[in-house]
Amino acid sequence: MNKKVVFENVVKVFELYSKRSDKIASLIMPKKRENKKFVALNQVSFEVNPGETIGIVGLNGSGKSTVSNILGGVIQPTEGKVIMNGEPSLIAISAGLNGSLTGLENVELKCMMHGLTKKQIEERLPDILDFADIGDYIYQPVKNYSSGMKSRLGFAISVHTDPDILIIDEALSVGDSTFTEKCLNKMNEFKEQGKTIFFISHSAGQMRKFCDRVIWLHYGTIKMMGESDKIIDQYVRFTKWFNKLSKEEKKKHKNEMLAKQIQENKVPVKNKQEKLSFLELIKNILILIPPVVMAILLILGV
Amino acid sequence: MKNPVVQVLKEQIDNWDLIYRMALFEIKGMYQIHYLGTFWQFLNPAIQIAIYWFVFGTIRAGSDVDGTPYFLWLIIGLIPWFFISPSIVQSSNSVHQKIGLVSKMNFPVSLLPTIRIFSNSFQYMIMTGILALIAILYGVEPSIKMFQFIYYLICLYIFLFAFSLLSSTISTLVRDFQMFLQSMMRMLLYLTPILWDTSLVTDKFGPVVENILKLNPFFYIIDGFRNSILGGEWFFEDVVYGLYFWSLTLALLYFGSKIHLKFRKDFVDYL
Repeated sequence: MNKKVVFENVVKVFELYSKRSDKIASLIMPKKRENKKFVALNQVSFEVNPGETIGIVGLNGSGKSTVSNILGGVIQPTEGKVIMNGEPSLIAISAGLNGSLTGLENVELKCMMHGLTKKQIEERLPDILDFADIGDYIYQPVKNYSSGMKSRLGFAISVHTDPDILIIDEALSVGDSTFTEKCLNKMNEFKEQGKTIFFISHSAGQMRKFCDRVIWLHYGTIKMMGESDKIIDQYVRFTKWFNKLSKEEKKKHKNEMLAKQIQENKVPVKNKQEKLSFLELIKNILILIPPVVMAILLILGV
Repeated sequence: MKNPVVQVLKEQIDNWDLIYRMALFEIKGMYQIHYLGTFWQFLNPAIQIAIYWFVFGTIRAGSDVDGTPYFLWLIIGLIPWFFISPSIVQSSNSVHQKIGLVSKMNFPVSLLPTIRIFSNSFQYMIMTGILALIAILYGVEPSIKMFQFIYYLICLYIFLFAFSLLSSTISTLVRDFQMFLQSMMRMLLYLTPILWDTSLVTDKFGPVVENILKLNPFFYIIDGFRNSILGGEWFFEDVVYGLYFWSLTLALLYFGSKIHLKFRKDFVDYL
């Protein structure tokens, strides 16, 4: 069976620069780097079948958002392979609406940026407005919206752009229960259509109800993955245990885990920048020659 | 491997409709909170020109340049500059400004600078209309040389596109570049023959200094606009200068596309 999404040993490393100038130095001389690195994801591998709903759980800072950003194509993995068979659509709380335009104009603009034609937008507009359900506020500039209204509008637009792979990054946590219900219904609809959904949330109840499988991320690695009920039970047990720890113990545990993620250049992270090939160098020089020659001729007044 | 220039140009052509509509939204968003709305597009430069006319046309009337009244000579250079300068600064900033918005969707980032240039173009078109009116009022005779105005317009747009592709990438990676660019543009207003005629330099320091000033590509374009409206020389008469401009533009286009494609996947990491 054809897999919808495949993560193969995905590593994401964030460089921790102590100075701004180090950042520029790493651009110019990628080799001479001795910076601290933060391994946000370490050798994460999983496969997802079409039509599956995958939940992702984990404590804060465990790499959930990094996974969702890689899934959405916002950032690229440092190492490893990501195969996506379909168009991903990332729904996050910060929906990226233009504050000075009205809600209606934002709908049009965002749909346009998703590559819909004018006709398609007109067809979907009633559905979107109905789903967002913010009444006459749709004619007001978005900057006057409450955070709940913003996320409703953002969610309404995103689900109506025909995504293949839906990534929901805690977007439901701002809406009230009726809106959440509506979203969950919509997600069920997507599920029935055989779309793949990634669901990132802290709500164990929603997870149990929806997800076929759950991935438990723990400080950059997959701690467990499997049937949702089993994993959620384990995760809930873990959080209970973790919450019972005293303040010092919690801190200690956290620091131990974080220490593993920060590396002082021990792991040889392959540099994505290939070396400039000789041929390429010649080509660059050849392109630079004419303007330089003409500049000299111009100055000499030939 | 696909040619980077071809790839970037193809993205522009394939999304032509999108560029146009996004540019309209850009203008709308800019003027939404103003009571006069998009009328400011026209009002703003009109006021600026009125000031220049007041200062240089009446109070401190500059002497004629090669038989052309100073005010007419001035605005032929100044009106394009009102388009060039903000376009360069804003389009270089566009990627940094909008990347958070567009990275979450399948949207070619290379369109961002183009959209900025286009949204500024509407105002430029209006101003060019006003320029034509003023030229008629001053009794400029229509001549066949006016057709080269189109050639220089093409030069201007291709140069802006090539330059903004490169500069938007650089200023996303290194924010200081944006600051540098702003000061640079302010400086170039005086180093390009917009407010004064460079023949003054030739008289004082000899032709080499003027030739160095000519390395500035905007010199070529502004000078070209004057030649087309006031009936100067043809664009093919100065072969060396033309070749310099085009080889520079094409080099910018090549390196701009290359660097843009190389870094665009990682733009978010550099924020």
